[in-house]
Amino acid sequence: MKYPLNVRVNGVETSVDVEPHRSLLNVLREDIGLTGPKEGCDDSECGACMVLVDGRPVNSCSYLALQTDGREITTIEGVSEPSCPHSIQQALLEEGGVQCGFCTPGIVMSAKALLDANPSCDEDEVRLALGGNLCRCTGYQKIVRAVLRAAEQLQDRAGTTG
Amino acid sequence: MTSLIGQKFVRGDGLEKVTGQARYTADLAFTGLLHAKFLYAERARARIVDIDITAARAMRGVHAVVTQADAPMVRYGMFVKDRTLFAHEVVRFEGEIVAAVAAETPEQAEAACAAIRVVYEDLDPILDVEEALKSSSPLVHPDWKSYQTQNGVERGPNDCGHMTSVKGDVEAGFAEADHILTETYQSDMAHAVPIEPHAVVAQWQGDKVTIWSTSQVPFPARAGVAETLQIPQSNVRLVVPHLGGGFGGKCDFHFEAHVALLARQARRPVRLVFTRREEFVATDKVRHASKIELTTGVKADGTITARRARILLNSGAYCGDALFTTEIGLMMVAGPYRVPNLHAEVHTVYTNRTPAGSVRAPGGPETCWAVEQHTDELARRVGLDPLEFRRRNLVQAGDTGQTGQRFISSSAKECLERAAEIAGWPGKDFAPGEALGIAVGWWFSLPASSGAYVKLNADGTGTIVTGAQENGSGSVMGLATLAAEELGMRPDQFSIVYQDTESGPFDLGSAGSQTTFNNGRAVIEAAGEVRTKLLRKAAEMLEAAEEDLELVDGAARVRGVPSKALPIASVAAASQTSSLLIGSGSGNPPSLPEHDLSGCGGRLGYSAFLAPSFFCHIARVRVDEETGTVSVPEVTAVHEFGRILNPLGAQGQVEGGVIQSIGMAVLEGSQYDGGRQLNPGLLGYKLITAADAPRVNVELLEDPVDHGGPHGAKAVGEPPVVGTAAAIGNAVAAAAGTRVRALPMTAERVWTALHEQEGELA
Repeated sequence: MKYPLNVRVNGVETSVDVEPHRSLLNVLREDIGLTGPKEGCDDSECGACMVLVDGRPVNSCSYLALQTDGREITTIEGVSEPSCPHSIQQALLEEGGVQCGFCTPGIVMSAKALLDANPSCDEDEVRLALGGNLCRCTGYQKIVRAVLRAAEQLQDRAGTTG
Repeated sequence: MTSLIGQKFVRGDGLEKVTGQARYTADLAFTGLLHAKFLYAERARARIVDIDITAARAMRGVHAVVTQADAPMVRYGMFVKDRTLFAHEVVRFEGEIVAAVAAETPEQAEAACAAIRVVYEDLDPILDVEEALKSSSPLVHPDWKSYQTQNGVERGPNDCGHMTSVKGDVEAGFAEADHILTETYQSDMAHAVPIEPHAVVAQWQGDKVTIWSTSQVPFPARAGVAETLQIPQSNVRLVVPHLGGGFGGKCDFHFEAHVALLARQARRPVRLVFTRREEFVATDKVRHASKIELTTGVKADGTITARRARILLNSGAYCGDALFTTEIGLMMVAGPYRVPNLHAEVHTVYTNRTPAGSVRAPGGPETCWAVEQHTDELARRVGLDPLEFRRRNLVQAGDTGQTGQRFISSSAKECLERAAEIAGWPGKDFAPGEALGIAVGWWFSLPASSGAYVKLNADGTGTIVTGAQENGSGSVMGLATLAAEELGMRPDQFSIVYQDTESGPFDLGSAGSQTTFNNGRAVIEAAGEVRTKLLRKAAEMLEAAEEDLELVDGAARVRGVPSKALPIASVAAASQTSSLLIGSGSGNPPSLPEHDLSGCGGRLGYSAFLAPSFFCHIARVRVDEETGTVSVPEVTAVHEFGRILNPLGAQGQVEGGVIQSIGMAVLEGSQYDGGRQLNPGLLGYKLITAADAPRVNVELLEDPVDHGGPHGAKAVGEPPVVGTAAAIGNAVAAAAGTRVRALPMTAERVWTALHEQEGELA
């Protein structure tokens, strides 16, 4: 038995019919065609599937798709146009915070949720916000540095425009 | 022109990765795709009495069910041909694949697996390595003598490879000693844990199959498919989309043939994606649990006179590529120390556990940990500071190593002194429970053949076509720098075609930290051929002598006459009507340094360390005496890598390796109940997170070698993971006043050691 799911995904009104047991991650990847969010554990342990639901980061592998009915979902694909990467993405590139890249979409989403809510965050807050995102390649050093750099840039920009 | 070597650059695959556009194996879409599931033994050791797939095959949505009866009866294995694709008559570990199903949905495939009826006769599992080596032990492989092996492999019952390393006269050495210390250290099985689980897609067209796989080793994987399915290698194309990390867990030939068999029977493309539990239980590619016995003689002044070592590796049910671990582990028992007299033996022991193999720096962290704990205990015995003890024993240029290789240079002491300086050894102002610990080590560069093509395009860009595999480290991305350096271009002007067996020439894969070392040489050779052709054509077009030309900033120009120049694009475009600007290279692997294996035994694949590199790690730890919890607030890691080609990339390797090694030190280990893993998931088997990870002080030293990789570079990927656990162990011992002799040094083990000590004092 399928039920209608109406969500706004990366700014686009989207309607799909899904079985009640299916995870948000599974529906995003298989039905909506967004493969940016990754499945690393299916158990909320690795954070590779992180997306924003109404601006808050959730592990989409452990979130039922139907729970998001009527809500706003942002995936890595909705963060920026590839021709104009978000400050977090640009900083990850330049600081060397991306290696194999499998955890990167989840890292970007957790970092974006943090910076949207707390643009003046310090290193401890960054580390805590990324505590649910496992990365086996980088040892986190360059990721943390990149998020702090992005925070600085966003603040500078807010300062000059505001 | 400024050299590109050692400059910061942004990796070419970075943008698609940070924007979520990079496609990994599980992201690929296929029309008519079916989903695969495996049925596992779920028991450690049993005889198969009967397998009945009738019900499963009749289920809705099921398109294929295969067992060993559907596969050629081929035994395969890198060193010892000891296994079949599916269980044949017996099962030897819980993750042994008994059958596979392809169905329209993963749920249907899983239900069909559950409907396969297997009748087992359970047998007592063989679990303990010492017991397994006794002549009274039952055999994991009763037919072991009939298995084919690689040349030189020496085996015994329940021992798929043993080796001996001998130097000097160990008894005479012990006779010279003032103190002799014997100790035993043990480590638990640990896992590679790439964040991307294994995935394979197979699709047939006629008698040819294309396989997209999360492999670190496309060419060996292709050879494995051809061997087990008994088809020509040329009928198998193996493509690796972006790879989400490997750390050795995706080396060797794995599950590609299983999926290819399903796809052939179903006549549709089939995809397998592992769950995290399967990553722990079924990937037959874990870091060996080990038992390391060391006896060392020292003089009163701290000089090491002799060492005897015995290493037992729990290799699980099959040999796989485990002998890399055995061979390298054996080469680590002397450490980077002058040990004039040595007798070391190592055994790779079959048990009914998940098979072990080469995980990042196979044989490295566990052996270094044991040797370095032992080193601190030796220092304590003779009353020397651990730093001073090491200073007196580290190898220097002119010394001979374990197998008699002569060091033409050694940065071992420089790494030690520099790390001590940065970390402020021996430390002061410690909070209660705090201390520093130190560890040193060495590693090798692996010489191997490896190929690449380079071509220039009419728009002035270049393309590198390589057989090399990018595991995430950036080593393939860095090839652009090497080609650009030869041709006076920029790295971002090169596109790279990689990890596809149909396009690139042979490479053994992202294993052994060998990509830059070997494929880098191939790319330079290929680019050199292009350079020659480019200069010849440009000279003709500029009406100048070839030897007067230089390649700078994307142009060929007459040296000293910048106005007399042609863009490389023009030369490349003009060459399309004459001789094309293409080149190929296969490097030329340097040979091992001279050494002496008299008295040694078994297959010694790493009989000498080519272009050896050295390191020193110092860890600050805090031990909570109430709970036994160890936290690591700071690590200093000094590495010498010959020549640093890509500083950002090399730092990233060190930082990642250090954090992985902290995990091995205090968290990562499989617990077992008999033959079943108790913690096959990321909740029970924890990794270090961003919130736990300390800051890492990295310093990279240079000591370029002419018998090394490009521009004097040495291997980078594996050494960083080797030393941190050892440094943490020594820091824990210093902080707690007692030594924990098992890895990982979990809170429970530390607490127990602390309380045993209290018991002794009482």
